[in-house]
Amino acid sequence: MSATAKYWRIALGVAVIAALIIAPMNFNRYGLYILSQWAVMTIAAMGLNLTLGYAGQVSLAQGAFVGIGAYAAAIMTTQGMPLIAALGVAVVMCFAIGWILGYPALRVQHHYLAFVTLAFSTLAFLVFRNEDWLTKGIYGISNIPRPNVLGFATNRPLPFYYFCLGSLGIVSLAMWWLIRSPWGRAFVALRENPVRALSLGIDTRRYTLMAFAIGSALGGVAGTLYAPLTQYIDPVPFNLSLSLDLLMMVIVGGSGFFFGPFLGAMIAVLLPEWLRFTEGYYLMLYAVAVMLLLIYSPTGILGILDRYLSERRTKAASALRAVAKSRLETAP
Amino acid sequence: MRSRIFAGLLLAAVSAGAAFAQGGPIKLADVAELSGGGATVGNNWKNGIDLAIEEINAKGGLLGRKLEVTHADSQSNPGVARAQVQKALDNEPYVLLGPGYSGSVKVTSPLAAEAGIAQIMGGEAAELTQGGNKFLFRTSFGQQSSMPKVAKYIHDELKAKSVAIVWVNNDFGKGGRDVITKEFAKYNIKIAADISTEAGQADFAADVSKIKAAAPDAVFIYLNEEESARILKELKRQAITVPLVGETTLVGQKVVELAGDAANGARGHVGLTTDAPVDLVKAFREKFVKKYNYVPDHNGLKGYLAIYMIKATTEKMGKVDAKRFADTLHGLTIKAASEPGILMDVTFDEKGDIDRQGFLVEIVEGKQVVKQVLPKLN
Repeated sequence: MSATAKYWRIALGVAVIAALIIAPMNFNRYGLYILSQWAVMTIAAMGLNLTLGYAGQVSLAQGAFVGIGAYAAAIMTTQGMPLIAALGVAVVMCFAIGWILGYPALRVQHHYLAFVTLAFSTLAFLVFRNEDWLTKGIYGISNIPRPNVLGFATNRPLPFYYFCLGSLGIVSLAMWWLIRSPWGRAFVALRENPVRALSLGIDTRRYTLMAFAIGSALGGVAGTLYAPLTQYIDPVPFNLSLSLDLLMMVIVGGSGFFFGPFLGAMIAVLLPEWLRFTEGYYLMLYAVAVMLLLIYSPTGILGILDRYLSERRTKAASALRAVAKSRLETAP
Repeated sequence: MRSRIFAGLLLAAVSAGAAFAQGGPIKLADVAELSGGGATVGNNWKNGIDLAIEEINAKGGLLGRKLEVTHADSQSNPGVARAQVQKALDNEPYVLLGPGYSGSVKVTSPLAAEAGIAQIMGGEAAELTQGGNKFLFRTSFGQQSSMPKVAKYIHDELKAKSVAIVWVNNDFGKGGRDVITKEFAKYNIKIAADISTEAGQADFAADVSKIKAAAPDAVFIYLNEEESARILKELKRQAITVPLVGETTLVGQKVVELAGDAANGARGHVGLTTDAPVDLVKAFREKFVKKYNYVPDHNGLKGYLAIYMIKATTEKMGKVDAKRFADTLHGLTIKAASEPGILMDVTFDEKGDIDRQGFLVEIVEGKQVVKQVLPKLN
């Protein structure tokens, strides 16, 4: 990458971040709610992107982890405990459960693994619904308070949006660091060729479990934000359809791309809202749009960009080669 | 002189503006379960609303102004419902309509209350109106008012000492089960079996075997329409002959159609049904079938009534005043004689709960027969 391209990228990044901070200031409450939802879903999708996109393990349980995080937050904060404590509990629980759920991934792959995680997703839903003493069952938990962050109350929509955006920022930075660390490289090696990874001395067993556990923990983080966002939770939003939604976000955005979940969540959360003017047809149009996109580019939106960039690079390289070749031929 | 001309112009402009505002349509916002698990509920509700608005607008509107409604889909998901209600409230509607699922009502009612806008909804869970929300109104009996009538009937008329309860495990079924369990405890009626079933369940053989093993004096069935029909068939197949009692759904027209012979003998309390032996309700049903080509369930009635609640309340105030709407509707009695659209006389209490007549019916040879009319309390 040339130096100018790098500056352009940084400038674009700064512009997007500035827009995310400044533009919502005069949004109405509905717009802020949708944007907050986008931030929360992006975090959950980033976790799944790590498991699926980088480590190559199909999981249909991410929605259940969001649920575990949400219930941890709802139960603890309605008892008067701070959200940060709930966050700790959610992360530890999701990490541990994710780790255990990773064991089948050592033995089965692809759609078989999908079935194992699907079973877990159903199990989690049944626990949320049937264990009344803990989760209040189908009635759900209402009046979930919003937290005070560094002395600021986040009851109003705008501060809460900034809280979600800030959390997204922190998670993004951590993720950026993670996938550039030796761990991230190991995850990719695991996806591309597990046998070779093993022969290179990567402990594939540990990294598979780790990918599952970290991905699940991020689902828990998203959940602890989801509960104070809606301020009411019941088991229904955390059924299989949320897991499938998150899976779609990762694939539509571009699985294995860092910014894939950001775009995928944007499509999944915002596109149906934009299409609402078509009334009865909006979900159908949304489904058709997603199908067309995946037919055009099975690697998602960022796949299109990637294809375009690599084509340009190839062109540039072949141009250079041609020049070099002609020089070589004309050389005495 | 100049200033007087200005003042005159200003006055003219202001009054023209006011007149324009007076003549503009009255905006209502509906958020309902138009897709997802509650699609039947939401679409019936929506069609009821549209039918009522069409009628009122055809007769010149409300206080001379047309009614206009926007429908938003909650996808039967409380999180989405919250977003859509937020969007609706940002546009400052006169009244908010829906949602139908109790969970979605719970998540949205604080928003409407904060905005000071009345919310007329379809949820039936008992707790919705217990939290002191001054802006929330029901369109049907809450379970806290219908279940005691059922329990009393089982105790007084059937003289049952033990009852098996079959309920669907969602907020509707669980809510009803919890209320009636408390009522049974008051009468010292033993619960012989407490059976939870799934929405959309197809096979009730195992559940009915459990009932058979428990040998209760009566069975209380609280399921959605399709499942009610299925369990009735299974109960007949396994030759269970004790009285079968339900609330609204069990004795609905759709159940009778689906269950055929097996529905005979089923009885229950009905608050709001298109089968009610009331001429205005029958007329409503005909109009609905003519427009949409199917027989609505009680959610269609609820949506229709919601609009006529708005009409009656607004006419009582004599103007369109969103701020005073909730106060006016509290304690209001609307008589079908003066407002035929309300179908049956109804009174709203301070909590937003309703008081209306109900019926105890029994299915005899495939027809609903009203055994007893439970009068309005006040």
